[in-house]
Amino acid sequence: MTLKVDIKDKIKQNSSMFVNFIKNAITASPKVQNNFLEVTTKVAETALKIIKDADLIVDLNYKGKEFWSINRCKTSCFIDGGVDRTSIISSAPLSIRAGSYIVKPDATSKREFFEESMVFLGDLYDPKNELYDFVDDDFEEDQMLNKKKDGARIIFEAATIVKHILLNKKFDYCFLHGPLEATVMPFTVAGFPTFTKFAVENMFPFISKNSSVEARHFINAYLEALNYIKKSKFPIYGIVETSNSAPYIKNLLFNYKIKGTISDKDYNSVIKTIKKYKITDSHILEIILSSGQALKPLEVKKQLAGFTVTSGSAWEEKMDSFPKVFIGYIKTSDNQAPVRIESLNYPKYLIKDYEYILGTSRLLPNYGFPVGLNVVDKFAKIPNWMSKTSRKYYATHLLRQAIKNKDQNTVSLAVKILSKKSRSWKNRPIGGISK
Amino acid sequence: MSKLNNWKAIGTVLGETDINEYHFSLKNYKAKKGDIVTTASRLPSTDGTVIPVTVWGKISSIERFNAFFPAEAAQELTNEDIDIRDTILPTTKDELRCKVIILGYTEDGKEKISKLLPLNYPVMPAAIVKYPSSKDVEELFISDLDSSHPISIGNLLARKDVEIKIDGDNLISRHISVWGMSGSGKTVFVRRILTELLNLKYPSFVLDIHGDYLGFVQKQKKYFPDNKVKLFYPNLSVRAEDKEIVYTLIDKLGNTLTDPQRDFLNSLLEKIKYEGGSLLQYIKLLNVKAREFASSGSASFKNVKPASMFVVARSLRIVSKKLENMEQTNARHRRKMSHLKFEELPDSATEPEKIISKGQMSILYLRGYENLPASAIVSIVLENLFRHRQEASEEIAPFFTVIEEAHNFIPSRSENKDDIPSVDTIRKVISEGRKFGTGVMIISQRPSRVDETIASQCNSQVVFRIVNQRDQRATTRDSETLSNDDAKQLPNLANGQGIISGQIVNYSLPVQIKFDEKLINDDIGNENFIDTVENWDDKESVKLRKKFAKDFADINEIDSRRAN
Ligand SMILES: Nc1ncnc2c1ncn2[C@@H]1O[C@H](COP(=O)(O)OP(=O)(O)OP(=O)(O)O)[C@@H](O)[C@H]1O
Ligand SMILES: [Mg+2]
Repeated sequence: MTLKVDIKDKIKQNSSMFVNFIKNAITASPKVQNNFLEVTTKVAETALKIIKDADLIVDLNYKGKEFWSINRCKTSCFIDGGVDRTSIISSAPLSIRAGSYIVKPDATSKREFFEESMVFLGDLYDPKNELYDFVDDDFEEDQMLNKKKDGARIIFEAATIVKHILLNKKFDYCFLHGPLEATVMPFTVAGFPTFTKFAVENMFPFISKNSSVEARHFINAYLEALNYIKKSKFPIYGIVETSNSAPYIKNLLFNYKIKGTISDKDYNSVIKTIKKYKITDSHILEIILSSGQALKPLEVKKQLAGFTVTSGSAWEEKMDSFPKVFIGYIKTSDNQAPVRIESLNYPKYLIKDYEYILGTSRLLPNYGFPVGLNVVDKFAKIPNWMSKTSRKYYATHLLRQAIKNKDQNTVSLAVKILSKKSRSWKNRPIGGISK
Repeated sequence: MSKLNNWKAIGTVLGETDINEYHFSLKNYKAKKGDIVTTASRLPSTDGTVIPVTVWGKISSIERFNAFFPAEAAQELTNEDIDIRDTILPTTKDELRCKVIILGYTEDGKEKISKLLPLNYPVMPAAIVKYPSSKDVEELFISDLDSSHPISIGNLLARKDVEIKIDGDNLISRHISVWGMSGSGKTVFVRRILTELLNLKYPSFVLDIHGDYLGFVQKQKKYFPDNKVKLFYPNLSVRAEDKEIVYTLIDKLGNTLTDPQRDFLNSLLEKIKYEGGSLLQYIKLLNVKAREFASSGSASFKNVKPASMFVVARSLRIVSKKLENMEQTNARHRRKMSHLKFEELPDSATEPEKIISKGQMSILYLRGYENLPASAIVSIVLENLFRHRQEASEEIAPFFTVIEEAHNFIPSRSENKDDIPSVDTIRKVISEGRKFGTGVMIISQRPSRVDETIASQCNSQVVFRIVNQRDQRATTRDSETLSNDDAKQLPNLANGQGIISGQIVNYSLPVQIKFDEKLINDDIGNENFIDTVENWDDKESVKLRKKFAKDFADINEIDSRRAN
């Protein structure tokens, strides 16, 4: 039983490989097309050798019934953000929200909570909007608007995690749908607005009230948030379904280059090949890993200065301040590419935590990622009917509901962002919301 | 507005709305299908101002789903025998999504709830949906029905305390169809209507096939002391002009005839003049005459062979035998109810007032009669009664006809039962009846087998439980107001639950019909075959047959014994 045969076999059953092959067939030159399979196989073979050498593969254990009878006592929080994508010329109505699905299967009273943790409903072209400081720019293009939306979603997701930590939630696990540390490069462009004082104060109370306008810029606010999240007592993971790039493999190769195991020349040429053939972590790891196997995390630098347009920008040196991310992979099901697991610290209980991710993913066999994220994804999604007219009614409805339920923890931030009158509220509400 | 504030909030309007319907997400257990709900809205009025209104609607369907439960999770749960409650899957996030058909709006700030006006501006998304009090719903229905003769038929299915009334004037001047499978509650509903008509002194004529209406006769003194309830049995008497019917009867009841044999029958009918009176006697006479002609050869009918004449004679004999049998069966049933006074049906041509008169219900007891003769009888009576209404002299008052087992009297063309004499009559009464005050109610278990054009002329409908798909389709086909959502509900209705729609109400409503138990005829009641068997004693003839059977069996046994 040779390695080669094994890999060839896997390629045959490998879906994402096939998809990429087809994609390449359409866009790439005939030569690239012809070589794709062969090159990928070769890279995978080499990667596997290194991975084995580094002893990175772990076998995870999962027995359905037993797993859940042990883990039913765990409290897990799943977080996801949603943005509506409708945009209307001349006004930029926007709904963004981040939701949390918190579940403790064996809880005696209420086992699950759906929390609308952060909500923004407003118009980004409204100078008085509560989210971004207004920048008077007649030529604001669509692209900037989309960046603002993305930035808001990312910051809301981070703020949601922050809020749970602030409120001292006793979670065993916290999962975010998507990268735990997003690539911040898109927000370094000139003209990207700062968040309002109101928004930042409400989301991140640890950012000093007296700090400069600069401190409210996405890059700074996000960095502060990540540093705060890094200190969390409970483990927090970002789960990414498919990788469009190869951070793990590239880092692995890089480490071996540093160690001297791979020559500079070989390293450079293989990196070039990976780029040329658009080979991703998913392709390679899907071949290498079997269902139920995982890769131990590697520490990866996410924000690469000088790598893109940000080169020379005011933010360039900030990039180095961002925490490094630990990236691991789990192959949760036979027919899906492995999911990427991101954390800001090296997992304290790697096997246990990864087995938990595997267990929760087995309940979503066709997608192969934790089912709780699928649940919160549906919850956070902005429904189609949230058109411009309905949004206003929805906002007042939310406000009313928040007051009626006295459920300050969940919606208070939402209410504050919605309602200017509530500016005076303390950040961590201490009861009596209706006053 | 003050009213609105007292009503309980039960949900929030979702999505895009229009002037006909909207969806809302319902709080658990706060409303049911068929419930009436409201939502506050604002409309542009004709003078350019904006007015606050209450929009009324009916929940036409409810879907319950756990939007957050991925279907594929079920597979793993089953395969691994995992209890969902041990997992992180959501178990409590059921969502209820209701579709509401908008009935109309009323203006706020009025003393009383007014008549519903058609909505011309969509309701507000994210508006609160409220559950109006029963008193207010009832008030709305009453003011909206705006009827000078409201007839109470029961209560709103979803709400016991909301009485449902229909418009009596519309009921008797138009036509109504009542569909539903056996035992679903049709007859109970009809009795409810007939009770009210008796109270209004409105004459009615009921074709009773099974004796379902005999309770009215039995309980008349007690419950309807000011009314008359007459019970008739048919007599097959035909006027000379109705030769067509005579021919059809003989043709259909007897043997199948060849063309020459038919010619002979026709000539026979020409020759032997019918003076009116008992049809049976006339057919017997025809039989005798046919025989005479046959014996005397082809003397009087040049082109007909005597053999053919004999065939016709035999056929006539069969017909008279059948008619006799039916009469006897009917008479036997009547004898079983000796305390009920049966009268021979008066001649509807000459004495229609004996059948239709103010304050009187006339029941024609048709038990024992096959479809065709029953149809002939009905055709003749209705034809005459209708003619008396049509004529300028108006010899009888307006009246209401109830036709049970309507698929027998007005079969669909696809049933291939042409020449059912009642089809034409009933079609005529239904299409012209409105002018003359001859409302008809047709009742059937099999709407798909009822004549489509007649059914579609019924402007009101009451539909009870129907499981058969073809029949379900037929109900929506015939109705303008019954929606597909309504049709979906049909198989799930319980006894006495029906969907009422059309001109007698203003919108289709699921109703629990009031059951007047007192009107059940104690003599027949609900057939209880177990009791019957318990008290069963074989008839003499059966006893004898059993005795002989034993003997024959013995013979047979001996016969088949092998000789040794
Ligand atoms: N409104 C009602 N409330 C309570 N029970 C009812 C109601 N309607 C019908 N039932 C019950 O169902 C029985 C059958 O009802 P009904 O005789 O009206 O059926 P049907 O539709 O006329 O059936 P068929 O087609 O066989 O004549 C009744 O005797 C009664 O027990
Ligand atoms: Mg009946």
